[in-house]
Amino acid sequence: MMLARVAESLYWMARYLERAEDTARLINATTMLVMDMPRGASFGWEDLLKVVGLDEPFHALYDEASETAVMSFLIQDERNSSSIFACVRHARENTRTFREVLPRESWEWVNELYLYTSTHLGHALDRRTRYEVLTEIIRRRQAVVGLLSGTMSRDEGFQFMRLGRNLERADMTSRVLDVSYAINLPYQNGQAALNIAMPDMIWMSVLHALSAHQMYRRHVDVHARGHKVLAYLLNDLQFPRSVRHCLHEIQFSLDELPGAEPMRRLQGMLNLVDEADYRKLASDGLHEFCDDIESRLADLNVVIAQTFFRAADTQKLSQSQFNLI
Amino acid sequence: MKIDCGHYPLMGGYDELLEAPGKPRPGADALCEFFSGLAADELDARHSAVDAAIMAAGITFTVYSEAGNIDRAWPFDVVPRIIDKLEWDQVAAGLKQRLKALNLFIDDIYHEQNIVKDGVFPAEVLADSKNFRAACVGANPPFGVWAHICGTDLVRDGDGTFYVLEDNLRVPSGVSYMLENRQLMKRLFPELFARYDVMPIDDYAAQLHDMLAALSPRPGDTPEIAVLTPGIYNSAYFEHSYLAQQMGAYLVEGSDLVVLDDDCVYMNTISGLTRLDVIYRRVDEEFIDPEVFRADSTLGVPGLMRAWKKGNVGIANSPGSGVADDKVVYSYVPDMIRYYLKEEAILPNVPSYLCMKEDDCEYVLANLDKLVVKPANESGGYGMLIGPKSTEDERKQFAELIRANPRNYMAQPTLSLSTVPTLCEDAIEPRHVDLRPFVLQSKDLYVTHGGLTRVALRRGSLVVNSSQGGGSKDTWIVRGER
Repeated sequence: MMLARVAESLYWMARYLERAEDTARLINATTMLVMDMPRGASFGWEDLLKVVGLDEPFHALYDEASETAVMSFLIQDERNSSSIFACVRHARENTRTFREVLPRESWEWVNELYLYTSTHLGHALDRRTRYEVLTEIIRRRQAVVGLLSGTMSRDEGFQFMRLGRNLERADMTSRVLDVSYAINLPYQNGQAALNIAMPDMIWMSVLHALSAHQMYRRHVDVHARGHKVLAYLLNDLQFPRSVRHCLHEIQFSLDELPGAEPMRRLQGMLNLVDEADYRKLASDGLHEFCDDIESRLADLNVVIAQTFFRAADTQKLSQSQFNLI
Repeated sequence: MKIDCGHYPLMGGYDELLEAPGKPRPGADALCEFFSGLAADELDARHSAVDAAIMAAGITFTVYSEAGNIDRAWPFDVVPRIIDKLEWDQVAAGLKQRLKALNLFIDDIYHEQNIVKDGVFPAEVLADSKNFRAACVGANPPFGVWAHICGTDLVRDGDGTFYVLEDNLRVPSGVSYMLENRQLMKRLFPELFARYDVMPIDDYAAQLHDMLAALSPRPGDTPEIAVLTPGIYNSAYFEHSYLAQQMGAYLVEGSDLVVLDDDCVYMNTISGLTRLDVIYRRVDEEFIDPEVFRADSTLGVPGLMRAWKKGNVGIANSPGSGVADDKVVYSYVPDMIRYYLKEEAILPNVPSYLCMKEDDCEYVLANLDKLVVKPANESGGYGMLIGPKSTEDERKQFAELIRANPRNYMAQPTLSLSTVPTLCEDAIEPRHVDLRPFVLQSKDLYVTHGGLTRVALRRGSLVVNSSQGGGSKDTWIVRGER
């Protein structure tokens, strides 16, 4: 049986590591995209902050959303609890508290990821070395995932990490979709233009931000069409960053754990992505749809905490009504 | 750097590996030959590999200081210390004898106090004891054993004799470093292990587990065992998680546990409450139960003492065992061995002067510049006076402290601690060492093969505590010569 505190730390450790990797991927994709932008395009570093939902905390600390400031904030600023450095450090500190439940090397590898991150992150501020450093962080994080996948029993600890990883990933996919869609390009004139000729390039950049372009081209279409991209990123069962795939992973984990409420909430979300009209969403209502997904994910997060991490609280309050295990 | 055993600046005391420059002791010749044969760059490469391995493994300890707590990498020296197995067997027998007597003493103190009634142990020492816990009187831990894990500090004097310096019976630490040191040596100097028949040490976790399992109140079932830690900010946190991992036990904090109306201990798990059978306590006893001890403690579990006294949970070390971990009580251990076991102590104590005795006190005050003065209840090398290295002012200050509270101080002659060759900045030099073996007792008795060798890394220093600039070495108990 797993300690509630340990389960919670594992869950958050996985979330933080996923967030660090997703942010690194997003920054790499954006850096490439910016160089492709036509002169006068207004996509800027400000939009990147909106994608990750950090525009408000950013402006509380910085004046102008210059590349340097945004990169510093997203990559190494410890005051931003979602910066890559803060996530990796947090994951490392969490890993320290449950070294006894993970295979021994996982602590070493997470610790090495942290040591690499703390010594090299400075170079990620500079465009010339950014790609290399962020890619190395992604590679090292993936090594940790692979190690766990190859050496860890599919026990409760494993399930909580899978829950955390997929919840975070689904959330990131939804947010990237939501905001990238709202990007303004000069040849895009209000809603009308958007409806008819949402340019390939924007949808392609969405795919890039989620490292989905290659698989999309291979499995769906060489052109990035709005409704196809949406269906792919929201409802494809096979692509590991699609919301549907993440929800299925969550489902597999919940199957292995006690408690029915999280599963009930999950089913609601599965129905949502299953029944959506992606042609319609490509022209209208995507923002509301993504909002709905994000708030349901937040809700699932709360229910998971109540069910698994605070199970004993309920039990202690009404001790007599429960049979102790 | 290249090691040259021929130019080894012996310090005059007992060196454990070399009798004279270029002349290894029996058993150490293969070691000296190996190290002398390493090319300078090869040695440097291995040394950096050691440092990298320690950083990567995150083998750290925390130093409490004014500048905040710092996580430091564990300083490790690559030259192992060698002890012959025949000599070690004697030491091990002495350690077992000592812990057996100490446990009989603790059990006696919390029951009839016969040793006091028979005039062997002075009533006033007991009356003044800071670590006597009234709440433990009458408790009956399994097998009558209170101190299940003992870290005994040993030193060698000028003639090579082992002496007991102190018995750590509260929450002795260091065993994980002993185990890690061996792992590092195996990884970095595999060829050395081919030349020596080194007694393995990695059964410690299994021994610890079995010792703890024997304390379970539900014999027959697979017991639920947990290591109770004060949490991540404790200096020994690395060790707590390490041992839990090695034993397959839970690593719990006080907030993970609750005692219910049935006086049993439960853990908060993902499916609610699960009963816990045995606690390996790494929290000081004053903090384990706010209902009985310090009410302001947030590290403990309300009701834990109740559960323990009813026999519903095993706790190692038992609350109250600290009564025998006291530098004044220490000096009575040979008497205890005689009293309870009708034997003579196999391992001698370091001669000790108790300031509570008038004659001793006068001697101590007159010889402060020659003695090491220790407070009775401190650990970690804090609050000591090392006479030969002290200033006039420090000695004056200590004289006042002793006069104000003689019971709280004892003194020992400065021993010329043995040395072991140690890799220093640019040469191999002698450094002072001690040795902390770990002794386990519940149903059976067990002693580690060797223990943790701590090194005073500063030249001439006698202080080996990691919190004060000490390091460590791998310790080899070696069977015969190959």
